[in-house]
Amino acid sequence: MGNKQTVFTQEQLDAYQDCTFFTRKEILRLFYRYRDLAPQLVPLDYTNKPAVTLPYELIGSMPELKDNPFRQRIAEVFSEHGDGDMTLDDFLDMFSVLSEMAPRDLKAYYAFKIYDFNNDDYICKLDLEKTVNKLTRNELTPEEVSLVCEKVIYEADVDNDGKLSLEDFQHMIVRAPDFL
Amino acid sequence: FFFSFDAEKYLLVSLASMSANERIKAIQKLPETMAKKREIRNKVLNEIAKNSRRHGAQPSCCTQCLQGAAVSFRRFGNTLSEYFQLLWIWQKALKVIGAEFGTSVLSYFVFLKWLLNFNIFSFLINFGFITIPQFLAAEPNNLSFTGLELFTGAGYFQETVLYYGFYTNATISKIENGPSYNMQLAYIFTVGIYFVICFLILLVSMVKSFCRNFLGLQTYSWNASKLLCIWDYNITSEKAVKLKQKNLSTQIKEDLTEVNKEVINFSVMERLLRIAIHLFAWVASLGTAVAACTGVYFLSINNLELFTKGHRNDLESQAAMLVLPVIASLLNTLIPFFFSWLGHLEKFQTPGQHIYVSITRNVILKMSIVGILCYYWLNIRATSESQCWETLVGQDIYRLVLVDFIFCLLGSFFGEFLRRIIGTIVCVRLGLPEFDIGRNVLDLIYAQTLTWIGILFSPLLPGIQMIAFFIVFFVKKVSLLRNCQPPRKGWKTAQMTTSFMLLLFCPSLLGVLSVIGVTVWRLKPSEGCGPFRGLSSMYAAVSEWVQILENYTASEWVVWIYHNLITSQLFFLILSSIVLIVIYLYWQIIQGRKTMTKLLHKQISN
Repeated sequence: MGNKQTVFTQEQLDAYQDCTFFTRKEILRLFYRYRDLAPQLVPLDYTNKPAVTLPYELIGSMPELKDNPFRQRIAEVFSEHGDGDMTLDDFLDMFSVLSEMAPRDLKAYYAFKIYDFNNDDYICKLDLEKTVNKLTRNELTPEEVSLVCEKVIYEADVDNDGKLSLEDFQHMIVRAPDFL
Repeated sequence: FFFSFDAEKYLLVSLASMSANERIKAIQKLPETMAKKREIRNKVLNEIAKNSRRHGAQPSCCTQCLQGAAVSFRRFGNTLSEYFQLLWIWQKALKVIGAEFGTSVLSYFVFLKWLLNFNIFSFLINFGFITIPQFLAAEPNNLSFTGLELFTGAGYFQETVLYYGFYTNATISKIENGPSYNMQLAYIFTVGIYFVICFLILLVSMVKSFCRNFLGLQTYSWNASKLLCIWDYNITSEKAVKLKQKNLSTQIKEDLTEVNKEVINFSVMERLLRIAIHLFAWVASLGTAVAACTGVYFLSINNLELFTKGHRNDLESQAAMLVLPVIASLLNTLIPFFFSWLGHLEKFQTPGQHIYVSITRNVILKMSIVGILCYYWLNIRATSESQCWETLVGQDIYRLVLVDFIFCLLGSFFGEFLRRIIGTIVCVRLGLPEFDIGRNVLDLIYAQTLTWIGILFSPLLPGIQMIAFFIVFFVKKVSLLRNCQPPRKGWKTAQMTTSFMLLLFCPSLLGVLSVIGVTVWRLKPSEGCGPFRGLSSMYAAVSEWVQILENYTASEWVVWIYHNLITSQLFFLILSSIVLIVIYLYWQIIQGRKTMTKLLHKQISN
């Protein structure tokens, strides 16, 4: 309808529109931004689904992510093999979840995965310590960090196993109206 | 793998049974990778195709056409919604502000945009239903236009559609024996229906916001959520990110030192001293508010004497009309600084208390100034001997709105631009100013209150306020981006937004509704001008109309509704009792659920 584009087939665009929160125009805009990161690697024609992966260094240099202290974890969570290198699918997925149209439950699920540094489906004390250090730029002493993490686990741990599971985390998010 | 085989089959079946829209929403919400979501989507579409093939015979040409049409219709709808997004004004500006300053400052601009919608809506319906018919029956304007009218609202503007006095009380009909347009009913119904819609919208938004942000506060785990939920993913500028990290570390350090400190028991003397200081501060602030109101009242009485001496259109008397609005705006601007100085004297237990107390005092000041002005207008102006008191009240409100707008711009200039110059060149220790969210939001609420009061007396006032809000948005945005730094203290945005909506609803809209109610039911409209001239009250137009309707059998149901529902006290008694019973039932349900939650908590931890 209207603009003719040759990057995707109509079915591919429909599938993207059904699977992300973006409209057709936004998907094309994001594709061009993906391409701008490495024009020699990304072809202009995606109709035959080329397998192109951009390394983490390029993704982490995007203006939306470059100052975010969690950018490496974000890229790792959304990438296919967990190493930060992203295909176009991963790229669209990441921005779809980070956009303002995504519901809070979905964001909470991915936030949990971002803060879970060792990928064991639980946020243990070590994960929390790394989170605190990233949030405060290593300005707190190790004792202070440890104290804060103990308090957090004490308050949020509902099933009393010493670490936060996804349910504990979601339980807390529901009660925190400021979660973005 | 996230899904076991059974779980996936169950998901496919449930997705296949939903409607197309629900299915798309459900797929979007799946916490899976894109490839997996696409696979699920294709499987679901195959499943649906299989089901339809199984249930019916071979799909005929018609059903295939219909399905093709449905798909292309959905694509068309998507493209259309893309174009509608272009109409969302200021979206880019809001994104930039959110990126640089975070969500707390953004909430002010979002609130401003929301208030603008009220004004646009009011202007459109007033213009459409009241002003355009008036143009057909307009009387010629004999006054001359000098530039001063823009400030005083009097002079040439007095005989235009801007004010109540110009509107005719006749039924307008262009064609002989053609359809006629009853101006009286149009005026009162347009204003009445607008306020009912405003009331409902505000009530619903407030309740939704309250539900989201305040319930569940009992089990608010402060520290945990402060850590894990505080990161504002909207911020993308390096400076803001560094600042936010520094704030967070400072906050955590403060919390830890508070925990480590012993709970100090204040001696009796110290406690008495603190209570005495609090009392003194409250007495001082309430006293200042009362003094301000008295000053405004006496100044307006003096202005009235100026008017009853006779109409003089020379420059001096016109300039004298501006004294009252300027004094009122000055009081509104300067007294809050006094209040914040008082706030520094007192020592509050938490910074949150400090913010709430200062907002309460400012609200009391502003609302009492508005209240005393309304008292003056309704009791003294309305019963005075002037020609057309509604137009005069409208002019007063126009001047107040205009001067308040000018003071808002001046406040931005002095408060932010000059303060930045002082902070960076003269006295570097002060640093850049912060954007004062509370003070600015209260200014918006004050301006909106004045506009709402003025709608009855000056139907096009929302249009003027609309233009003012546009200009204020741009000025504040530019001033913010050039002069201010991101806020240092954490500001509980969601709760503050709910409090602002509550302030807009409770003193502001309810006060306006009572003022309008008194005007419509009790006051006698002026004899010589306006659509209600000659009647005993504005409401009499409606009761006379109902009496006319009684003669027609086709509209008996309208008469029945009027007599038995709107004017009968029994109906409202029954309605109130039902509402109270429903509230009590819901309260009991909430109590029961709370005990249930506690029991379940214990079960999980054991």
